[in-house]
This record gives sequence, C-alpha cells and structure tokens, in this order.
Amino acid sequence: MSEDSRSIKQRVERVGAAVLDLFLAGGQLARTFAATWHGVFRRPNGTPAGTKRGQRPQGEVANQMYVVGNKSLLFIAVTLGFIGMVMVFQSCLQLERITGDLSQVGPEFLKLLIQDFGPTITALMIATRVGAGIAAEIGSMVVTEQVDALRMSGVTPIDYLIAPRFIACVVMGGVLTVFGVAIAYLAGGLTAWSSFDLNPRLFFDPSRVRFFDLALGLIKTACYSMAVPVISGFCGLRARGSSEGVGAATTAAVIGSSLAVIVLNFIISGVGLMLVGREP
Amino acid sequence: MNIRFVDIWKAFGDKAVLRGMSLEIEAGQVMFIIGTSGVGKSVTIKLLIGLLGLDRGEIHWGDIRLDSLGEKEMTPLRKRIGMVFQNATLFDSLTLAENVALPLRKHKGMRMREALVEAGRRLDQVGMGSYAQRYPAELSVGMRKRAAIARTLSLDPEVVLFDEPTTGLDPVSARRIDRLIRQLSDESGVTSIVVSHDLASIFSIADRIAFIYKGRVHLCGSPAEFKSSPDPVVQQFITGRSTGEMETPGF
Repeated sequence: MSEDSRSIKQRVERVGAAVLDLFLAGGQLARTFAATWHGVFRRPNGTPAGTKRGQRPQGEVANQMYVVGNKSLLFIAVTLGFIGMVMVFQSCLQLERITGDLSQVGPEFLKLLIQDFGPTITALMIATRVGAGIAAEIGSMVVTEQVDALRMSGVTPIDYLIAPRFIACVVMGGVLTVFGVAIAYLAGGLTAWSSFDLNPRLFFDPSRVRFFDLALGLIKTACYSMAVPVISGFCGLRARGSSEGVGAATTAAVIGSSLAVIVLNFIISGVGLMLVGREP
Repeated sequence: MNIRFVDIWKAFGDKAVLRGMSLEIEAGQVMFIIGTSGVGKSVTIKLLIGLLGLDRGEIHWGDIRLDSLGEKEMTPLRKRIGMVFQNATLFDSLTLAENVALPLRKHKGMRMREALVEAGRRLDQVGMGSYAQRYPAELSVGMRKRAAIARTLSLDPEVVLFDEPTTGLDPVSARRIDRLIRQLSDESGVTSIVVSHDLASIFSIADRIAFIYKGRVHLCGSPAEFKSSPDPVVQQFITGRSTGEMETPGF
C-alpha cells in the first residue's frame, strides 16, 4: 500500500471512529436521561413503602435549588434586564423611523418574551452558570474516584448526583424564567418610557398573549430545564484523567447544553407553528 | 473462594495496559500486586470489582464469573468485595460517621440512626471514634485513610482490595495499616489484595506477591521466592536501581 493510500485510510478510519463515538455517546446520553427519570421516582432498598426520595442524599434537592435558583437570580436579572432594554430600544428606534407608531411594541415584546426569548435566554444562562458547575463538580468526583467509591457503597451515581440537580433545575428553571421575563419586560417598559416617552399603559398591555404562547413557553422551559442538568451531568460522568479532563468536561457541558437549548427551541417552535399555524 | 484472572486484556485508547495477564489468588491470603507506575496494578483490582470493563479475558470468584456481570448484578457483590481507594475518597460534604454510614444504609438497608451507631463503632476500631463528627477536609491523609478503611470494613467483606493503602503515611501509621490487613486475614479469613510500592509492607505481611511487568504477571511467589529470584528485572525492582533491564513507562 502506498504512503498516500495509507494516509487516506487512516483519515477515513479516524472519521469513522469519531462518528461511531458520537452515536455511542448519543445512546449513553439517552440512557442517562432515562436513568435520571428512574432515579427521581425510585424507592431505595430497605426504605418504607411510599418513600419517594430514591438514593438522593437528604436535603440535597433543597440545597441544589438554592444553588440553581437563588444564586442565579442576579445573573439572570442583569442579563435579561439588559437584553430587554436593548431589544425595546432598537425596536422603538426602527419603528419611530418607519411608522412612528410605538403602541404595539410592548404587547409584541411580551408575546416574544413569553414564547421564545424568556425561556431560551434564561436556559442559555442556566447552561452557562449551572451546567458548568454541575459538570465540574461531578467531573472532579470522577477523577478523584469519589464516583467509584459511591458505586462501591451501593449508590447509583445518577440517582445520587444527577437526580437532585435535575429536580432542582426543573423547578427553579421555571421560577427563573418567570423572573427573567418579568425583569426584561419591566426594563423594556422603563426604556420605552424614558427614551421614547411611550405611555406605560400602552406598553404593559398583555392582550396579544394567547394561551398558545404561554403553553409554548412552558413546554420550552420544561424541556430546557430537563436537558441542561442531564447533559451537564453526563459530561461530568465522562470526565477522565485529571484537572484537564474536568476542564474538557465542563467545556463540553456548556457547549452541549447550549446547543441542546438552541436545537430544542427550533424543534419546539417548528412543531408549535405547524400545529397552531401562524397568527392572523 | 479463590479469585482467578484468566488472560486479561485491557487498553485505554491505543495504550495497552494489561496484555494477557493471568493470576490466581487463594481465599484468605494477603496477595500483593506490585510493579512500576502505570503498569496496570490499580486497573487489575478495578476490573475485579467491575469499576472498569474488560477488553478480553475472564475473572472468576469461586463459581461466579465477575466479568460477565452488569452494574445491577455487581452491586450486591460489592457488599462482599470492598475496596479502599488510593486517596481515601471520602465524601467531602459528609462527616466521617456519615461517610461510614452510607454503605451501611445502601447495602444493608439500615436506618440513619442505626447506621450512625454502627459507623461510630467501626471508626472506634481504627482509632477514629473521636473524630466521627469531623469532615474529611479537617483531617490528615492518614486519618482519612483509616476512616476509609472503616467504611470498607463496615460491611464485613470477604475480599478487600487495597489501592496503595500506605502511600503518603508516616512509617508508624503505615505499619499499623499493615497490621490491620494481616489481622483481617488471620482472624477473619478475609482475602486481601493489596496494590503497593511499599517494600517494607510487602515483605512483612504478604503471603504471596505478583509482580506485573509488560502487561503480564512476570513473577508470582512468596516473599522468600521473590527475594531470592535471580531475575534481573525483579532484582532491579527490589533494589530500586535506576539502571538495568527494566523498562519503565514514561522514561
């Protein structure tokens, strides 16, 4: 075999291995997701019937809710607040030049916030702050053999580590989204009032929001809140080696979670529009 | 029950660590697995307990074929085969008592209060009873290792795997750990598999020694056989000479 054909063969093999690896990782991620749901509802051996806490450590869900929710409040407020201000400012600026009628800015902004921007931007922020934290924490436990020690103690790492974070993210993801939407809406209203003298009664008008918008926002929030902890935990559990491996797992968690949010947004929006159709 | 490794192969990526390793360990013995760093000693014991998966080969414990068991089937066996990790690996968020109580609750289904009482008793056995309410970060390496041993022994395992139990300990603490391992074998009939570089431990408490080199067991015998072996690689390992026939990964 010539040098050229050997080099081509090696490249093809590398691409093939990478594709296979991707499919394998996809399968493992799906299993992790299923195992997390199982962990949320599982009753451990030896506990009385009716116990729903699974193998989660006592108080861990509340602790994680504090980490995911309370500690993200300022971050979400600043991010969503500034995004709301910039979006409303730009919209008003363009509309003033074209039509001069700013009466629909507030109602349309609220509709967009509830249906799309609120859940998506909040989830991206959670993926950055919380997802990175989950992957780093679990990754560190993997490389220091603490996860192996858990397995030796008869504990399922997914039940013990991912399930409480999953519950916390699902609950606090919803709370943070409502909070983020409120902040962005208020910041937008203040911007419209202070920069364009728009009457707040015109801006804060929820009449354009339909049940469909609320449902879509809710579905997106739930899907994102489930995807971020599972993907981040999965990346953490795949960490290998030492601190370098933890760093790689953290990066993979942020990229994977953010990508999942964007892809899910596309799919859910597409399905929603197909089912309900465009607004007249 | 004897433990048998038969033609074990294990690679990480393109790096083959174990290449056809075979070894038999008799029940109740203290078996030391030794060799240079990166030769696959810790990998061998992790393969035994299913923390790593095999590429090829068989692992038997009595009539049970361990390598074919899944995580679910392996979990109850981990009550019978315990492991003390190299870095103690106590959970930072739990006190020593809670760390020791964790496997008691999960494996034996004990209630928290009951498990904590038992944990205190187990910590007393390794001289750590007065530190039961301390967190791992507040303790020295040696104290953490003793607590980790208490955690492992709390389930009364039939086999205990020790991954470098005396590394990082002062000589007195190291000899105390040695004595504990020996006692487990002599008084309770526990099979101990110890991964170590500590020659003082090896020659004072081992029943047998398996020297792994180039992915296989290069020599397996008693401490006396090991000392008197004319094999130049074995002699170089014992004397710690930097020059000789031995190939060391990374050098």
